[in-house]
Amino acid sequence: MATLTRQDLNFGQVVADILCEFLEVAIHLILYVREIYPSGIFQKRKKYNVPVQMSCHPELNQYIQDTLHCVKPLIQKNEAEKVVMVIMDKEHHPVERFVFEISQPPLLSISSETLLSHVEQLLRAMILKISVCDAVLDNNPPGCTFTLLVHTREAATRNMEKVQVIKDFPWIVADEQEVHMEEAKLIPLKTMTSDILKVSHSQLFCTESQKLNEIL
Amino acid sequence: FHPLPWRQRGGYMAAKISKLEEQFQKDAPREKQKDGTSSCIFSGVAIYVNGYTDPSADELRRLMMLHGGQFHLYYTRSKTTHIIATNLPNRKIQDLKGEKVVRPEWITDSIKAGRQLSYVQYQLYTKQKGLNYSSVCARGKQDPSSIHEPSKPSLNHLHIISEEDAERPRVNGIHDGDDDDVDDNACALLPRGSQDTLLTNGYVHPVNAALKPQDSFAELQLHVVDTGSHQSHLPQTESRDREEPSCSSSGSKANSHQRSLISTASPAKQPGLHSMQKDLHPKPTSNPGTSAAPQKGNLHDQTRVRLNGSYHMTPNSSTLADSSNPPGRSAAGAEAGIISEFFSRSRLHHISTWRNEFSEYVNALQSRSRAAGGAVFSGQEKLKKLRANCSSGVLSLWFMFVRQSCILHVDMDCFFVSVGVRHRPDLKGKPVAVTSNRGPGRVAQRPGANPQLEFQYYQRKQQHNGVDLDLAALSMAEIASCSYEARQAGVRNGMFFGRAKQLCPDLQSVPYDFQAYKEVALSMYETLASYTHNIEALSCDEALVDATNLLVELGVTSDDLARAIREDIKEKTGCTASVGMGSNILLARMATRKAKPNGQYFLRSEEVDDFIRGQPVSSLPGVGRSMSSKLTSLGVSTCGDLQQLSISRLQREFGPRTGQTLFRFCRGLDDRPVRSEKERKSVSAEMNYNIRFTQVEEAESFLTNLSMEVQKRMEGAGLRGRRITLKVMVRKPGAPVEPAKYGGHGICDNFARSVLLAQPTDSGQLIAAEAIKLFYAMKLDVKDMRGVGLQVQQLEGSYADPSGQGPSRGRSIKDLLLAKQPLLTNSEHTFLVVCILDGLTGPSSSRAFSSNQERVTPPSSPPSTSSDPMPGTSKGGLHHPHTPNHVRTYLNVSIEVPSPSQVDQSVLEALPVEIRKQVEQSWRHREEQPSTSSHLSTPPRTSSSPPPGPSLGTLVLQLQNQPGQPCTTGIILELPDVSQVDPEVFAALPRELQDELCSAYRNKGNAQTENVQCPSSPSTDVPETLSKFNPRPVPTLAGAYEFSDIRTLLHEWVTSISEPMEEDILQVVKYCTELVEDKDLEKLYLVIKYMKRLMQQSSESVWSMAFDFILDNVQVVVQQTYGSTLKIT
Repeated sequence: MATLTRQDLNFGQVVADILCEFLEVAIHLILYVREIYPSGIFQKRKKYNVPVQMSCHPELNQYIQDTLHCVKPLIQKNEAEKVVMVIMDKEHHPVERFVFEISQPPLLSISSETLLSHVEQLLRAMILKISVCDAVLDNNPPGCTFTLLVHTREAATRNMEKVQVIKDFPWIVADEQEVHMEEAKLIPLKTMTSDILKVSHSQLFCTESQKLNEIL
Repeated sequence: FHPLPWRQRGGYMAAKISKLEEQFQKDAPREKQKDGTSSCIFSGVAIYVNGYTDPSADELRRLMMLHGGQFHLYYTRSKTTHIIATNLPNRKIQDLKGEKVVRPEWITDSIKAGRQLSYVQYQLYTKQKGLNYSSVCARGKQDPSSIHEPSKPSLNHLHIISEEDAERPRVNGIHDGDDDDVDDNACALLPRGSQDTLLTNGYVHPVNAALKPQDSFAELQLHVVDTGSHQSHLPQTESRDREEPSCSSSGSKANSHQRSLISTASPAKQPGLHSMQKDLHPKPTSNPGTSAAPQKGNLHDQTRVRLNGSYHMTPNSSTLADSSNPPGRSAAGAEAGIISEFFSRSRLHHISTWRNEFSEYVNALQSRSRAAGGAVFSGQEKLKKLRANCSSGVLSLWFMFVRQSCILHVDMDCFFVSVGVRHRPDLKGKPVAVTSNRGPGRVAQRPGANPQLEFQYYQRKQQHNGVDLDLAALSMAEIASCSYEARQAGVRNGMFFGRAKQLCPDLQSVPYDFQAYKEVALSMYETLASYTHNIEALSCDEALVDATNLLVELGVTSDDLARAIREDIKEKTGCTASVGMGSNILLARMATRKAKPNGQYFLRSEEVDDFIRGQPVSSLPGVGRSMSSKLTSLGVSTCGDLQQLSISRLQREFGPRTGQTLFRFCRGLDDRPVRSEKERKSVSAEMNYNIRFTQVEEAESFLTNLSMEVQKRMEGAGLRGRRITLKVMVRKPGAPVEPAKYGGHGICDNFARSVLLAQPTDSGQLIAAEAIKLFYAMKLDVKDMRGVGLQVQQLEGSYADPSGQGPSRGRSIKDLLLAKQPLLTNSEHTFLVVCILDGLTGPSSSRAFSSNQERVTPPSSPPSTSSDPMPGTSKGGLHHPHTPNHVRTYLNVSIEVPSPSQVDQSVLEALPVEIRKQVEQSWRHREEQPSTSSHLSTPPRTSSSPPPGPSLGTLVLQLQNQPGQPCTTGIILELPDVSQVDPEVFAALPRELQDELCSAYRNKGNAQTENVQCPSSPSTDVPETLSKFNPRPVPTLAGAYEFSDIRTLLHEWVTSISEPMEEDILQVVKYCTELVEDKDLEKLYLVIKYMKRLMQQSSESVWSMAFDFILDNVQVVVQQTYGSTLKIT
């Protein structure tokens, strides 16, 4: 029986691919659910066997794709700690943040083919949770925008400077005000503990959302 | 101006330079005439001034004219011999690598001295590598040993050390008072004049050649050695900067002393050193052709001596050459070396580290005696002899049965003072205080300080009825200790010296003498250790001794023992000690109060009640200023008053845990054992003296250095931690910029932030990176920072170091192995003893089975302790394990016993009473029955899990291993072939059983294991050998980790009991905290919401309070980890 470990090159690749795909779907869905963009630009698609909404605005899609493309190498090296989608109001104050906290076990090994179907189940659960998250969140003020942030581990930033995955699409250090929210409240949405990899310590993807109750 | 690219100037520049030179030459005679005091001390010297200097460039130009030097307005590498600067940016330092960059004082001092001094003293940068604060270096005098430049290979140090060895005594001898002598010495070290560098290089070269093949490890060692020499060098160079020179020098002496103390306990680095020496040795033979061979041999000898000599000083001193830097007077907080510096000199730090050291000392004694198969107790022998002379054996038998536990609290009488006046009979009987101030107690007020305001603040805070005094000019040096005579005059420890002097005008002050403290403390511990090794080191001057066994063994009364100990201490140290005795720690400590000064007192159980009622509450441990003021507001001033309050009232006021402790303490109840080994909860380094940053970079580098200090300590303790907390003290808005106490922190707000790492670490760099992140997240004004602390929590041992490096950790492993064998036999022994006692006198307390030889509770002990409720859940761990071994055995109990439903009742009944008890106890533990004491006799409840499948034909009974049997799996009978296992039945089994079966099959080495892989518990099935890292255990609540199980558990808990036990609440909090750390927020959210529903519906308001308590605690953890709190609706 073939056992893949983290040391195998393509393992990080696999994780990164799966995760980025999921993040893309999730980001589109959040944009739709939180009504950041008019619903007219969204189309219904099917992913993980459930209906999801995807924007068909080319520039928006490009931004999301490019960002995730840059995130991918980080995830591959287990250097990304969180991927955060910040929704800001007109004055660029963050209103809510969707935090995808990624933690990978230090040592992974894969075996058998339950891998894909099981992960898919878990991801599906998460997508469904996102699509109903507006039930626990307050409505956003009109005219919101969004931005994507990555929290890296340790010195990963330095390498990010060196290697620009996409030309002319460099990383920018986030403004403090984008990162920081006053009196934020945390609402955990879904935690998935994937056992696809048959690992001692399972892979964790956390989704949680913070919501500013009152905008000061 | 900006330095132009050197050497690339055109003709214009060349012309300009030569013209300027001419001008200078022309001006020089004129200047000389004007001034009259000319000389030519600087002939051959050409300076170039870079940036701002004091005196100014113009003035320097004039001085150079006067004294025969050259002044270059533009830098020319070939002509300019010295660069004068007080501050250089990093880039310029790089550019000027290899040049002589000197501070302007070199010129002024040389003129003053009337000759050209060696510039080495005045070099601007000696070790800057990255960002640094050269201006700080400019202050004060520099250590002559730090003349090496940063770019040079580290091996240069070697040369310098060996050279200086010869010089050191002389330097030490002459230094006081006369700077020039030192200069001369320094000049003797290195040839004078402009060829300095060249010659030095030449000199160093052979050394380099000799040592070249060394690996980097050796280099590292050399660094360390270097530090050692710096350390020993410290006092003389710095004494000028210090207010109390004697203190600093004795401090470092104490340092070296304490080092040699530990050296026996930590031979860890020795191998490294040896191997290095081996490396050093063969070199001359391998390079026989070198002309410098004889010299080399010489060098080697010297070095070796030095290495050995300084080795003892190394373990605590890191930050390498930094320690050579004296602290500046104002901006010291910014300085790189200040941290090591601070910790190597801070009095408080000294004294606080001693406690650890003495603990270690006691541990070392214990393990040594274990290894030797029994210790020789000289004191014991003496007592035995004494006893043999005067009493008969009957008494000892009597003791055997009536004995109670007896704790001795040994406390030196005003330790610092009595040590201080040991050799000064003239001071005996006079009011004496140990303090750093030795003047009249008055100091000039510094600008920016506002002592009155601060005093008012503290007064308000402490609700003191204030003493009106003229604080402004009084010395703020604190009194560390004062004699009884001084105490009679109203002087108290911790009082400011100025104030004390007012109260007691003929108060004499004695300086600190750390070496003497160390000596006396050590001999006190040696004395104690000559009686027993059951010692808990409390501090440098007090210790707890569990004399229960000792008294039985010797058959003497506790009074005899105390007297013998006190006489011994008096004889060996010349200082008096008081001994308090009682049946527990609390009573022993209270008895000490009565025993003082120089006496002993045994607080008998029959007089405890009367005694304790009269005691003020503040005498209870843990009752400090804030709590006693709170108690006063409740109308409580004595323990008797406190006894009137109900436990629920206390718990409401002070929280469940503290409330209960208070409730017990005020009745004289205390079940803390004497612990010779304490588990560390955190490792931290904190500094709140002299922190005055001006720039963010300074704070950053300070944090980096502080992290290194933490790293050092963690390495020393062999620990790694996951949670990093940054604590910052920030000047309270409105508080004076300069506090009343010089360098103190004044009135501050405290902030703390923490972060949880994925992996435990002890790397200073990692900690620094996190700390800096936290620091930025706090968004503070660096100018207002007054104190910085770094703490690492959630520690684990670091022996699983994958890189295999770190020789210092080898010790603990070895110790563990060494200690293992005798320890196991010990616990076996205990077990037997308990059984025998058991047979004689009926049921013993269940705690006695905790395989801990120190805590064998005698059957005849008073009912109050033996019927003590079983440590229900979390508290159990507190009672039992003192050593890793014990911990393990204990854990076995709680984890490996199968759930009740899986055990045949008849089998259970057939088991020996003790084992059965244990099984039952662990069920209780797992089920989290809060009212444990009432369940002692009732059969355990069956859990909600389904009954075992009988068709399996397997009985899995996993019990705690008998102590001493190193087998890991339990008893597994009749394991059927895998093919016979019905997957459905298997799936129906409870999770634990599945896991057990899986591991059992794996252990059989069956290749078909994969087939029985539990369909519902995949996460448990890992080839253990593969995992290099220890997987973090899934957080469990009393063994349950599925949400449904937890819900059931919580439901049962809340519905079945009317009032929750504190332990259970804490257990839930712990579980929730673990969930946060496991980043399983979703589950946490569900658990909390479920509890909220359950507990707030409950009719009892206690449950509501319990929920609030849990929620508060959880929110704090969430806030720390995620920066915001959970939204609970």
